[in-house]
Amino acid sequence: MWVTTVSVVSRILLIEDESKVARAVQEGLEAEGCEVTLAATGDEGLRAADTGHFDLIVLDLMLPGRDGLEVLSARRGAGDATPVLVLTARDTVRDRVAGLDAGADDYLVKPFAFAELLARVRALLRRGRPEPPPRLAVADLEIDAVGRRASRGGHQLSLTGREFTLLEYLVRHQGQVVSREQIARDVWREPSRGTPLDNVIDVHIMRLRRKVDPEGSARLIHTVRGVGFVVRENEP
Amino acid sequence: MSWPRSVRARLAFWHGLALLFVVSVYAAAVLLQVQDDLYEALDSQLEGDFGRAVEWLQNGAPAGVPAAAADASTRDSDGGADVPWVDAWSPDGRRVFDAGRQPGLPVLSGPPAGWPRTPYSLIVAEGTRVRLLVREARSGRQPVYVRVGRSERFARQELGEFATVLGLSLPFAFAVAVAAGYLLARRALAPVSAMTSRARRITAEHLDERLPVENPTDEFGQLAGVVNDALDRLERAFATLRRFTADASHELRTPLTAIRSVGEVGLRERRGEAEYREMVGSILEETERLTAVVDSLLLLSRADEGKADLRPAPMSLDDLANEVAADLAVLAEEKRQNVRVEVSAAVTAVADRPTVRQAAINLLDNAIKHSPDGAVIRLVVRQEGPSAVLEVIDNGPGIAPEHLPHVFERFYRVDKARSPAAGSAGLGLSIARWAVEANEGRIEVESETSRGSVFRIVLPAAN
Repeated sequence: MWVTTVSVVSRILLIEDESKVARAVQEGLEAEGCEVTLAATGDEGLRAADTGHFDLIVLDLMLPGRDGLEVLSARRGAGDATPVLVLTARDTVRDRVAGLDAGADDYLVKPFAFAELLARVRALLRRGRPEPPPRLAVADLEIDAVGRRASRGGHQLSLTGREFTLLEYLVRHQGQVVSREQIARDVWREPSRGTPLDNVIDVHIMRLRRKVDPEGSARLIHTVRGVGFVVRENEP
Repeated sequence: MSWPRSVRARLAFWHGLALLFVVSVYAAAVLLQVQDDLYEALDSQLEGDFGRAVEWLQNGAPAGVPAAAADASTRDSDGGADVPWVDAWSPDGRRVFDAGRQPGLPVLSGPPAGWPRTPYSLIVAEGTRVRLLVREARSGRQPVYVRVGRSERFARQELGEFATVLGLSLPFAFAVAVAAGYLLARRALAPVSAMTSRARRITAEHLDERLPVENPTDEFGQLAGVVNDALDRLERAFATLRRFTADASHELRTPLTAIRSVGEVGLRERRGEAEYREMVGSILEETERLTAVVDSLLLLSRADEGKADLRPAPMSLDDLANEVAADLAVLAEEKRQNVRVEVSAAVTAVADRPTVRQAAINLLDNAIKHSPDGAVIRLVVRQEGPSAVLEVIDNGPGIAPEHLPHVFERFYRVDKARSPAAGSAGLGLSIARWAVEANEGRIEVESETSRGSVFRIVLPAAN
């Protein structure tokens, strides 16, 4: 699907010792068309990184033996510039700074939404390549980002500012499930997890759906229960 | 000698030393005074001796020798009796009269060097001191120098005995002072021993024990009182922590139970794909709830450690109120509630905006949740002297007085049976309180059952 924008299949090295998480992430990434190599320890990860060529390394920080930061420093020390996405259960500012200092390109705190992981992986794989302008339209829903207007089947939709921003965000990520956390951060600019915006987001989605998907028209805004929301033509 | 470790011994030692010093100074002063007195008496004796000697010399002496002087001639060399000596010298250095001469006295030819005309002491031999008085007189028509003298032996002997008595009594006084000081210190410090043995028994498991207070007004009583107050606070903190741990476990257990039941029931029989999707979704919803609880707990524990990253700066409190009201307006609209922002003048607080915003969102969210449909919720912003104040006022059901002191405690729920909505695990108000207090402000609540509640954020205002 989305990897078709890149001519070759993306190769990802996943270094994660928690086998359930590793298998789930591997399956998820493979379902998106990536080729995933799995390593369960830091040393195994380093050997794999030495022998194969990867477009991206997804690295857990808490590993048996050599931990993630050591692996990262070793790779960067060897002059390897492969983008690295760090996964960690610790998210104090100090931990973040340590990870980014060691040369991580991005940082994701556990427990993460898979949708969020996918978004970060996409962003890192795309890095350096010009992003194709997203088609701001789904089926007969059209977005005019400059004029901040939206129409469905030629009829102008009457949206509040926030509703428009939310719809535009969903359409820009069409086909991808976005979590409430992503929406809170990117649409509401809320930096902190733990601020009760989930209900606010749900109400906005409900209202948006009433306007975008009126009775009798094909549904475009879908709720993926327990995960988030997605805009697409067909049922997910 | 090892330095005494106990306060008692040190007190006694210093007490004794201080007393020894005072007594020594006193003894020295007395000794000097006694010496002065003795010499004064000796000197007045010499004056008398001189007067008598001059009289003899003028009344036809040297024929008649005074009786005392005659006795003196018979005594042994170091002076067995306290009698004076007299001799008289012509200005050319001849002795013209002599009665009971003391061996070792120099020849008096002319006035002696540094002639004082008052009595003076002279050492005539090793350990033999004499007191002398030399003055001019006339023997018949001839001018002479008359010398009278007496041994200092008796005066010095008396002085020596007195000094011995004083010297011997000093160590005794020191010993008595040390002993008395020790007993006194032990009595005075007895409450400390009692506190020590009681304090040993106080542990995390026995925090209800308190130090004994014998006299609440003295220093030890005050110390024990202060320590007991600290123990009160510690006991309360421990109780809160214990309840918090229990509540946190309960709060985590609820979603875990849901996950487990949905999963187990789902596997009991074959189902269609749609049903499975529904179940997985339901499980994911519960994990969202778990994540929210854990995120909030982490936020609070990091706040407890003082690791929160705050950047206080001047911020408009009325802007914040408007923004928060706009953010949560949709929630109020769903319940046909009306959120009104009341600002009389621009108010600027000095605080870290994101954390204050979080506090305000939590308070307003709480008010919307607990107010009935159609209620009016007011956000009032004003300046009160050096403080910037934001009030969230609702006319909801209010909070009963017995719950009021606890509403900011973690996981405290007024309605125990009410199931929490996802993302609100009874931590919202705790986070609000932390957020405000971390910004050197305070959070207050006033409430009246069935009349409504006022939650108040008070922050330092910018000048």
